[in-house]
Amino acid sequence: MIADGVEDEEKWLAAGIAGLQQNAFYMHRALDSNNLRDALKYSAQMLSELRTSRLSPHKYYELYMRAFDELRKLEMFFKEETRRGCSIVDLYELVQHAGNILPRLYLLCTVGSVYIKSKEAPAKDVLKDLVEMCRGIQHPVRGLFLRSYLAQVSRDKLPDIGSEYEGDADTVVDAVEFVLQNFTEMNKLWVRMQHQGPAREKEKREKERSELRDLVISVGKNLHVLSQIEGIDLDMYKETVLPRVLEQVVNCKDEIAQYYLMDCIIQVFPDEYHLQTLDVLLGAFPQLQPTVDIKTVLSRLMERLSNYAASSADVLPEFLQVEAFSKLNNAIGKVIEAQPDMPILGVITLYSSLLTFTLHVHPDRLDYADQVLGACVKKLSGKEKLEDKKATKQIVALLSAPLDKYNDIVTALKLSNYPRVMEYLDSETNKVMATVIIQSIMKNKTRISTADRVEALFELIKGLIKDLDDAFHDEVDEDDFKEEQNSVARLIQLLHSDDPEEMFKIICTVRKHILGGGPKRLPFTVPPLVFSSLKLVRQLQGQEENPFGEEESITPKKIFQVLNQTVETLSNIPAPELALQLFLQCAEAANDCDLEPVAYEFFTQAYILYEEEISDSRAQVTAIHLIIGTLQRMHVFGVENRDTLTHKATGYSAKLLKKPDQCRAVYACSHLFWVDDQDNVKDGERVLLCLKRALRIANAAQQMSNAARGSAGSVTLFVEILNKYLYFFEKGNPQITVAAIQSLIELITTEMHSDSSTPDPAADAFFASTLRYMEFQKQKGGAIGEKYEPIKV
Amino acid sequence: MASRRRMLLKVIILGDSGYVNRKFSNQYKATIGADFLTKEVQFDDRLFTLQIWDTAGQERFQSLGVAFYRGADCCVLVHDVNVMKSFDNLNNWREEFLIQASPSDPENFPFVVLGNKVDVDGGNSRVVSEKKAKAWCASKGNIPYFETSAKEGFNVDAAFECIARNALKNEPEEEM
Repeated sequence: MIADGVEDEEKWLAAGIAGLQQNAFYMHRALDSNNLRDALKYSAQMLSELRTSRLSPHKYYELYMRAFDELRKLEMFFKEETRRGCSIVDLYELVQHAGNILPRLYLLCTVGSVYIKSKEAPAKDVLKDLVEMCRGIQHPVRGLFLRSYLAQVSRDKLPDIGSEYEGDADTVVDAVEFVLQNFTEMNKLWVRMQHQGPAREKEKREKERSELRDLVISVGKNLHVLSQIEGIDLDMYKETVLPRVLEQVVNCKDEIAQYYLMDCIIQVFPDEYHLQTLDVLLGAFPQLQPTVDIKTVLSRLMERLSNYAASSADVLPEFLQVEAFSKLNNAIGKVIEAQPDMPILGVITLYSSLLTFTLHVHPDRLDYADQVLGACVKKLSGKEKLEDKKATKQIVALLSAPLDKYNDIVTALKLSNYPRVMEYLDSETNKVMATVIIQSIMKNKTRISTADRVEALFELIKGLIKDLDDAFHDEVDEDDFKEEQNSVARLIQLLHSDDPEEMFKIICTVRKHILGGGPKRLPFTVPPLVFSSLKLVRQLQGQEENPFGEEESITPKKIFQVLNQTVETLSNIPAPELALQLFLQCAEAANDCDLEPVAYEFFTQAYILYEEEISDSRAQVTAIHLIIGTLQRMHVFGVENRDTLTHKATGYSAKLLKKPDQCRAVYACSHLFWVDDQDNVKDGERVLLCLKRALRIANAAQQMSNAARGSAGSVTLFVEILNKYLYFFEKGNPQITVAAIQSLIELITTEMHSDSSTPDPAADAFFASTLRYMEFQKQKGGAIGEKYEPIKV
Repeated sequence: MASRRRMLLKVIILGDSGYVNRKFSNQYKATIGADFLTKEVQFDDRLFTLQIWDTAGQERFQSLGVAFYRGADCCVLVHDVNVMKSFDNLNNWREEFLIQASPSDPENFPFVVLGNKVDVDGGNSRVVSEKKAKAWCASKGNIPYFETSAKEGFNVDAAFECIARNALKNEPEEEM
């Protein structure tokens, strides 16, 4: 066949089909008129079309399938003939008069099938005869299809145990012998296909051979038939079937056949047989051609056995009894040794499968799992970090297996070789793996409650905690980075021990690891650590005083010390706004612990940051309001400390860049002098001072706006201040008088109606609703109503 | 002439999991190729021979090609009632069959649907209900539906009789 013969091939196929159909037509006529002679004549002519050498296996298959369907009709006819009194033995003789060998053998197999069904001769004799006669066809393609036909028609007529064709107890042996012989012959033909025709078409032939695997015509089919023979018990499988099959596989010395048939053996025979014959099966692997893809086949075997082990706990003793793990481990070692050129991907795949296997079969034997990881490390050592994408992916699978199995990182942390395998990942994959670990912890809500484990864990996920190599990673995606650091933050929140001592150790361990994370990571990792520490502070605070005070080495004070240093790292990054917030959080916690000096220290830290580091005006506004808000809630301070801090806060407020911001900060400061639940903080005079100062600033703002744009600014600030007046008025601050309120209302009204004012609907509405509120309070009656009564709205 | 032809029926079994009773089920993948079996069914005092091709859950069944499907009298679609995906795939299998076999009257080509493995785990692992399967069958032109257990042989004979009756309804494809 020439390379450009595709078109020709189509023509030959069409001619073959035409010839086949024409003869089939005459055959049908003969069948309908019960004309045996013509039936044989035309069926033989029809089958002659299969004698062609011009078709590729795929096209030949087209022809074969048509002939197959026609032969079924002939078979029925033969059956009817025997019912009409024609002797099957005579028929068996008669078809052998066909002139050509190939049609003769197809007819013989067809009659043979009826012969066996008639039970006039023992099935084994007929089968033996047929399988021997088929030796007459040695052309690979024709021979393969013929033998495949034999396999198909005999499929349900084997003298198996329980089948109706069983002669005596020995007949299973005959059935097995028949299938094995057909298998061996088919494989020989299949292997021989590659030697047919010129060498330059070798590749094409390899392809054709591979195609044959997938068709109905496959050598592996015989193995499938064997696996379906009920009578093959373990002994027979062990003594006869497997050794004979393996002998053929090994001796054929053909890469395609060996790979395919080993895979077939693994897939078709039952798990328990594999387990009981592991020595024999595994022993064949090192004998295969060096180019055979052993890792895939062997991995599938382990995958099957793993699934079997997972299917029921009852089968596990079997695995122990045959020492499956050590046998597989040995076999892998030997295969790796026998194939020194095996790529690292293959090695890792094998170990990965073995690990999955041992996790399923010996979940209690962590040492086995560690042993596999150790073997992997040994194979990886001496190599640079892995660059092979597939191999790193496979390592991730390998490392994920223990996590999936135990749902518990704590168990994986006991595997000493686990972190050593991670060493071989490039930093990108290392991160992926670290993320997998964190996700596993979060999904399973794993409790990691000792500092030692935290240490081990952070060692594992260090790819996320710090930059592993010096190289700059500018290309890291911002969102990915955030995602990844957020997951670290969540992990930190999850670490918990009920024992305060241990918890403190955990905090120190985490701190040690995250502080090296650099300016990009600290803003993500410090806050959760701070809150985790504050949680511990509150836990200690809630506990009874320890009667053995001297033993209690961990105190809130100590934690605050650590916190102070931790937060300080943020101001160096610099992330002053975040640091300021955290200092204030700490101050509040110290306040709750009645630790005045500590709280004062935190405030001082916050103030220093405010003065020295926070320069953006928007950030200043946010910061000052946080400071005021926190300071207002503090009750731990004595008069002196409080004075110092409030004085400063008021000072900062008045120095903000924009007048409206100043005004708002200053009137907010009024609350620092009047706290509802603290009787010693009710300084009406200074409240009034603040509000008056705010008014002055509002005025100044108004004038500035006038000067700049020729029109007065909005009255919003004045209305806001009016509301503050009303608040303190209601709270009973004696300095806030009816007259003061009255004049403020008038001021606002005048401003609103002045010619130069700019209309501002929002401010108008605000003022109107403030007035409505006052009206409402008046009508409420009682003490409040009386208070409001004198104010004219 | 018609009588002999009609006594021999070609049946093709498709689905994510193969059907025919196996000594060891579910153990191999698509390495082996289609399985061929014959089965005799008797009804109305006549004996029919079913020539059954079971593709055993092959992924690569397309390679079986048009030749494999030619002259099919009935197509049996099998799903595993314990695996939702196998049910979801029924439609794909049906369409694939119609493309490959291209019967002259695809609307009325006889299909039979089997919900297999109803015995697994005492029915506790079942995810495809009878109602759901029947609804799908109804939507595809009232395909007959059978619940079977190849392992226990439950309902198998009834299913095959139905398969044979349905195959008979189909006019044989005249070959050109």
